[in-house]
Amino acid sequence: MLKFVLAGLLAFTPAALAEDMVTYEITLKGAAFDKTELKIPAGKPFIIKLNNANAAPAELEAKDMKIEKVAAGNTSIVVRVKAMAPGKYLFVDEYQEDVAKGYVIVE
Amino acid sequence: MIGALIIVFREVIEAGLIIGIVLAATRSVVGSRKWVSLGVLGGILVSCIVAAFTGTIAAFFDGFGQEIFNAIILGVAVVMLAWHNIWMAIHGREMAGELKHAGEEVREGRRTLAALAIVVGAAVLREGSEVVLFLYGVLIGGGGTVQTVATGAFLGLGLGGAMSALTYLGLLKIPTRHIFKVTSWLITLLAAGMAAQAVSFLEKAGVVEMLSNTVWDSSGLLSEKSIAGKVLHTLIGYSDQPSALQLLAYLATLVAIIATTRLVTAQPKRVAA
Repeated sequence: MLKFVLAGLLAFTPAALAEDMVTYEITLKGAAFDKTELKIPAGKPFIIKLNNANAAPAELEAKDMKIEKVAAGNTSIVVRVKAMAPGKYLFVDEYQEDVAKGYVIVE
Repeated sequence: MIGALIIVFREVIEAGLIIGIVLAATRSVVGSRKWVSLGVLGGILVSCIVAAFTGTIAAFFDGFGQEIFNAIILGVAVVMLAWHNIWMAIHGREMAGELKHAGEEVREGRRTLAALAIVVGAAVLREGSEVVLFLYGVLIGGGGTVQTVATGAFLGLGLGGAMSALTYLGLLKIPTRHIFKVTSWLITLLAAGMAAQAVSFLEKAGVVEMLSNTVWDSSGLLSEKSIAGKVLHTLIGYSDQPSALQLLAYLATLVAIIATTRLVTAQPKRVAA
């Protein structure tokens, strides 16, 4: 049954997904993101790609942007974010949320 | 230490509540505790496996494998919960009475216990792999903080366990004649909330794009990420920014379970009359 469901889901995955959305890339190294501010235009959905350069896993979390996704050590993840209203939105590595922070600035 | 405690507790709230509810809902069924324990153990085991393969799972479906995986797990849990509720509606009264040990009933009862064990396992698995990854990160991170972080993490797990116990004991306070009705409702709402959450994962993966408009935004009032928000999110499927499709999935699941339960419980009466 699982195979069936998987096949069904595969058929529905839009192939053009990544092409019509802009991808913003950030890298986590140690307890800091390489960019602490990402400027993104308002009213358009977008993709954030996180490269986790640490050997330890990380969890990209942003409450307002509804992001919550783990990245194994030395791997990358992508998350889709819906169109946001102008504002400043915090994102963190949940596993070290006191120090590893950045903001998405939608304008 | 407090940081680790909060991280782990946040992750186990959902599973804690679900385990408490399932224990209360099945307390009169022979062998239910064994099945719930099996569900928890199975969930922990699979969490470790999933944690080990996080990178691999993430790479599926253009990088949205985790979301699809979560949606499937939730979908399975919804079906199991619905099945259990409908089955209990038919046989619940007989089981509480003298037919409790009738062979057929017990065998069937075990099957729905297995279904609930899967639900418990799924609940543990959903956030369990994140806890495993967090602890693993702490371990390989090294440093002198390992011990305090580990202490915090285990206290967080303990709090999750306490949450299960409180939910269970709280539900047992309900008079016996009402408890069946209450747990049936809880399970129905649990299923509806999970259906909505499954849809939200499919939306995050970009698999479904229709009806994606946000119906309301109550994040200022009660954030879904706060402890109270998380509890409500688990219990009744509270969402601070649901999409129209999530709302639709929620209502459709609610109506489907209630209607089916009514239908199957109404029929025998008509025959008897």
